[in-house]
Amino acid sequence: MKHTRGRTWLATWFACGTLLLAPQAVSAATITGSAHDFSSLNWSGGRICVACHAPHKSDTSIADAPLWNHTMSSASYQLYSSATLKATISQPGGNSKLCLSCHDGTVAVDSFGGTTGTSMISSKSNIGTDLKKSHPIGFTYDSALTTANGSLHDPETKTVTIGTAPQTKTGTIKALMLYNGKMECGSCHDVHNTFTVGGTGSGLVKVSQDGSKLCLDCHNK
Amino acid sequence: MRRVSSQQALRFVLLGVAVFLLRGGSPACAGIVASKHNLSVSGPGSVKAASETAICVFCHISHNATPDAPLWNRRTPTGSYTPYASSTAKAAAGQPDGASLVCLSCHDGTIALGELLSRDATTSMAGGTTTMPSGTGNLGTDLSDDHPVSIRYDSQLASTRGELADPATLTGKVRLDAGGRLQCTSCHDPHDDSNGKFLVMPNTASALCATCHRKNYWSSSSHKLSSATWNGAGSDPWPHTTATTVAANACENCHRPHQAGGRKWLLNDLKEEDNCLDCHSGNVAPKNVKAEFNKTSIHPMAMTTGTHDAAEPTVVQARHVECVDCHNPHAANTTGGTLPGSLAGLRGVPIGGGTIEPITAEYQLCFRCHADSPGKPAPDIPRAIVQTNTRLEFNTANPSYHPVAGPGKGGSVPSLMAPWTTTSVIKCSDCHNNNAGPGAGGTGPNGPHGSSYAPLLERQYLTADFTTESSSAYALCYKCHSRDTLFNSGTSVASTVHRLHVVGERSPCSACHDAHGISATQGNATNNSRLINWDTSIVKPNSSGLRKWERTTAGHGRCYMTCHGDNHNPESY
Repeated sequence: MKHTRGRTWLATWFACGTLLLAPQAVSAATITGSAHDFSSLNWSGGRICVACHAPHKSDTSIADAPLWNHTMSSASYQLYSSATLKATISQPGGNSKLCLSCHDGTVAVDSFGGTTGTSMISSKSNIGTDLKKSHPIGFTYDSALTTANGSLHDPETKTVTIGTAPQTKTGTIKALMLYNGKMECGSCHDVHNTFTVGGTGSGLVKVSQDGSKLCLDCHNK
Repeated sequence: MRRVSSQQALRFVLLGVAVFLLRGGSPACAGIVASKHNLSVSGPGSVKAASETAICVFCHISHNATPDAPLWNRRTPTGSYTPYASSTAKAAAGQPDGASLVCLSCHDGTIALGELLSRDATTSMAGGTTTMPSGTGNLGTDLSDDHPVSIRYDSQLASTRGELADPATLTGKVRLDAGGRLQCTSCHDPHDDSNGKFLVMPNTASALCATCHRKNYWSSSSHKLSSATWNGAGSDPWPHTTATTVAANACENCHRPHQAGGRKWLLNDLKEEDNCLDCHSGNVAPKNVKAEFNKTSIHPMAMTTGTHDAAEPTVVQARHVECVDCHNPHAANTTGGTLPGSLAGLRGVPIGGGTIEPITAEYQLCFRCHADSPGKPAPDIPRAIVQTNTRLEFNTANPSYHPVAGPGKGGSVPSLMAPWTTTSVIKCSDCHNNNAGPGAGGTGPNGPHGSSYAPLLERQYLTADFTTESSSAYALCYKCHSRDTLFNSGTSVASTVHRLHVVGERSPCSACHDAHGISATQGNATNNSRLINWDTSIVKPNSSGLRKWERTTAGHGRCYMTCHGDNHNPESY
């Protein structure tokens, strides 16, 4: 009887462990073949990187934008707010602003290299300029916010693993998901499909959504 | 079945710990993951997805969410709800809004659990479930049996309603929303089920309820303090809680915040008395009050349902009786005294009329129904002077009265037995009480719940003409008035009046005496002292058309009437 009870307990323990270890059966990925591979589209001329990057004559006016080639959005965004929000939200900057140059739906995907394109992003990938509807970005996520919020993990100590084996990285939230200590689009998404999980259509997320692991890496719910 | 050795078990445990720590060390199996709000296929409850593995998605989405709640991923109900209402509520609950409305997107049972804004197709739930199955999780759209939500709880409400905490003190676990409104989320944290029922804090001893509700007298109430448990017989008095003592159930002894049987005031049961009698049946409380109501003469609580109203006037207009008309369950306790703890914290009517709260004497309580209330039945005994208002009958300015509202008139009452004297004050319940209670020498519950002797008398009191006198026939009178003195003391009253009529003629005491009193508005000291007020079915006018008694001197008087065919015109003693 005693042993049986012990085994039941163990089984429960392992159910928990297994849930978290749920395998992500997707091979190590590259941008080729990903949602950001535009080479099959007419305007790309078979190129992948060109919509965002150019080796020469790139836009150097954008901070943190290496060899930038895409036309920037001039949209003013409605900012996320909620009664319980403790972070300070401001107009997007950093790498989020680069993502929004396509994903706010105001600039054509093929507007790059000084030409104005006509191919707008699909409605499914268009998050618009009303960022009230999206998870907040561009805010500092540190130990102080963790304390103020009350249901977040401390980004300086909480360890996470991103990517799909064998292409994984393990480190703190701050090291692997924050940029200048801030949450940006890149906190959840890996634009180049390097450290992602799931196939095409799964949103280039860095952590599996099985068991909402991506959310629960930060949200201590 | 292979047995696992302790060494193997230890290895498993260590491996488990290692896995746990490797995954980031967070208690990921607590919180939402281990709660019924994990609707993913990994959820622990019976209501969960057929195959969906994501958890948060059933409520939240990271992009293209609705503004109805943080990153909200559900359709907000648009239907109409029946809100909570009661005559004592000051915060009229309207249609739910804010956080409450988004909770209802699952919990009103109208929207499929798997209907998510981010999905083109409805996410399938296990077992073919679509909307919330019926049960405690499905509140429906009739919220009149649920604690009100989306009500503005401000200091004005606290002062007009009373018995509420100042909302400025709500800085702990129980919070109002940003608009100062009470919402589902004031009591429930949908992400944390560690307290059970997703409560924001444990509700043992109703600690959660008491954060807002500050009931008068509650601190000394037996319903707060009693450690009594259920003996297992009869109905489970606490079917909706896991607490096992009266004190631990506290408010929930009688109330429940959702799916209440008695909608107004959120009582467990629709029938008012049922809320009390599951416990007051000898199964939790030691005395079996419930059985008292099987007797022939009772306070008939089962006669009405829904007539009692906590906001009713002190002088009851719509006649009824419920346990809570005579007992304040927030105040009642076991202290003794002239006004026992069972009658603590009640409203009543003073002898001069009006309202007194709390009452200071038992009769003030009885006067709520037995004095100025309309629709009282005719007296059991037809009297020469008819009075159904006991407040007028017991007034101390009357020519005579039993000393309930104050000591008697000060005349000689030789029949009184110790400890009673002419300065004594008695209670209604000295006469009207359980025939098997302590007053009658029994072990039953005290109080006028039920008696074998009508009208709810502690002892027998026969009133029919030609009743053979015995110690039991008028046992109620003989409780205080010595039978021997009444008949054998040698005075003219004893010999010529009492023994002749009661023993000889077999006339009941009530033929001549009206036990309550004769109002000064109707009688006078000459004709109506000594509680003289004829039973007109026995005492008839004499040959001169007269029917009266006249007091002459102390211990003497004369009668004008016809009784048992004997014409008194007059007869003196």
